[in-house]
Amino acid sequence: MRITPAEVAALSLSIKVALLSLVIMFPPGLLIGWLLAKRTFRGKTLLNTLVMCPLVLPPIVSGYLLLILLGKHGVIGGFIYRAFGIEIVFSQWAVVLAVSIISFPLLVRGIVTGMESVPVELENAARTLGASPLKVFWTITLPLAYRGIIGGTILGFSKSLGEFGATIMVAGNIPGKTQTMALAIFSAVHLGEDASVYRLVLISTVVAFVALWLTERFTLR
Amino acid sequence: MADSPKIKLNFRKCLGNFTLEVNCTLKRKVSAFLGASGSGKSTLLNCISGTPTPDEGEITFGEEVLYASASKINIPPEKRRFGYVFQEGYLFPHLTVAQNIRYGQPSPRKSSPAIDVLEISELLQRYPKELSGGQRQRVAIARALAMEPRMLLMDEPLAALDSALKDRIIPYLHHIKDAFDIPILYVTHTFSEAMALADEAFLIADGKIVANGEPHQLLTAPSVMPIAQLTGVENILFLPVTLSDKTLGVTALEIGNQSLVIPYTEAEVGEVVPVAIRAEDIIISLEPELPISARNILRGAIQGLDIKSERTWVSILVECHHLAVKITHEAREQMELREGREVYCVIKASAINRLWD
Repeated sequence: MRITPAEVAALSLSIKVALLSLVIMFPPGLLIGWLLAKRTFRGKTLLNTLVMCPLVLPPIVSGYLLLILLGKHGVIGGFIYRAFGIEIVFSQWAVVLAVSIISFPLLVRGIVTGMESVPVELENAARTLGASPLKVFWTITLPLAYRGIIGGTILGFSKSLGEFGATIMVAGNIPGKTQTMALAIFSAVHLGEDASVYRLVLISTVVAFVALWLTERFTLR
Repeated sequence: MADSPKIKLNFRKCLGNFTLEVNCTLKRKVSAFLGASGSGKSTLLNCISGTPTPDEGEITFGEEVLYASASKINIPPEKRRFGYVFQEGYLFPHLTVAQNIRYGQPSPRKSSPAIDVLEISELLQRYPKELSGGQRQRVAIARALAMEPRMLLMDEPLAALDSALKDRIIPYLHHIKDAFDIPILYVTHTFSEAMALADEAFLIADGKIVANGEPHQLLTAPSVMPIAQLTGVENILFLPVTLSDKTLGVTALEIGNQSLVIPYTEAEVGEVVPVAIRAEDIIISLEPELPISARNILRGAIQGLDIKSERTWVSILVECHHLAVKITHEAREQMELREGREVYCVIKASAINRLWD
């Protein structure tokens, strides 16, 4: 089995984008997860709905909305273009943004589940022992929520690896630039390159399997 | 011993349909709040610890205002430095015993004297799930003491333990009372625990303080029955010893002209000992001569009946002592119990517990 340079490029882009998206989305994911799991505030349901939306929207719709926002004439894209002269749409940053938005709900869901499982009584006990809310977060909530957090991270990462609909809308399918694994498979099927399809499908399957296996390893004891 | 700082509690907190409303000052070293479950005693302790915040009022510790709705003062729990021992312990499951104890310690390098007082130095490397119930509670108490608190709040620290374990932990609590010069606020539903430790007791029912005083004063108040009802059950009597025989395994106490036999306890003849009898451990009989093994059949007269939704409470005057007895409605009807009727209280010797002085 020979893997072509184009396939390697697609695979490495997928992994690079998924990792980058994780690094970018993890801190806000922790914050929003903590807010949703541990706080009551006005607009909580709205925040939750907004974060979870990409989970239920067709990815193609999320991608289209992103395209409108990020395009040269969009609210955000227009601002960035005027300020920095950078065009996001159809760049690798567009891929990162697309997979981030799509995988974010899975990451947050895992974090929320993990944090909800930490009894508030333990956190209150820590407070009486002199710990500030921040110390309680780092020393009690976070370590006790680790299974949910790892679960959400791996699921979100896997989702990022395989994202298709939103990516193709905002980033296009440019080989060597914005063509991820999923997009490469799509192209290969279209072009009838069966051998390439098999190789990519096999790699995808192995990556997904390993990710899921790791999730179970870490979250079940 | 230096005077304990006065703790003033004057606040209100609504939780759903329930309202806790207290106004009292704690002056003694160990204060007990006594009440049935749902009476609001845990909420009271939580409000003092800082979570939740009361709706309005004031909480002061000595000169320091911890909470005042009028001036919008609310010291967060971590700044109050009140050690809190929870009924369930709430040890941190991901930390070892040693790490749990160090968590709140101001100087974590030093070993806390609480480790010795509670005899847990053997357990330091274990995780909470590897501890027995009694060990867990001792660690929880040590953790609260290791933070060098200004006051110790204890919410039914013994409730999750069986009575044998309770008896083993109570001496530790006594030791703490002597070894650490801080006020202790102890919440419980059992009178005997309050008796064992407290200098002053507050009776709390339905979110309000209904009586307060020294624990034995509360008991000898004319209305023993409501207290037994509120605290879930115990009759406490102070009776002089007339005979104590180790070989027979019994000690006899004088109750007016009658005698009450209890399991042998070390006591001088003439010494007054406090004993507790649970309201459901007393059987009412209409006849004095019964072919049964129970050692105590005390003559008395029904002084009052209080019919509650589940049970009937009977107040019986034996000599000059009131006994609260809990029976079913069916028993009351079949036996035609009414006020003034002469009855006999049947009590097994082993159902009578001597209290700690």
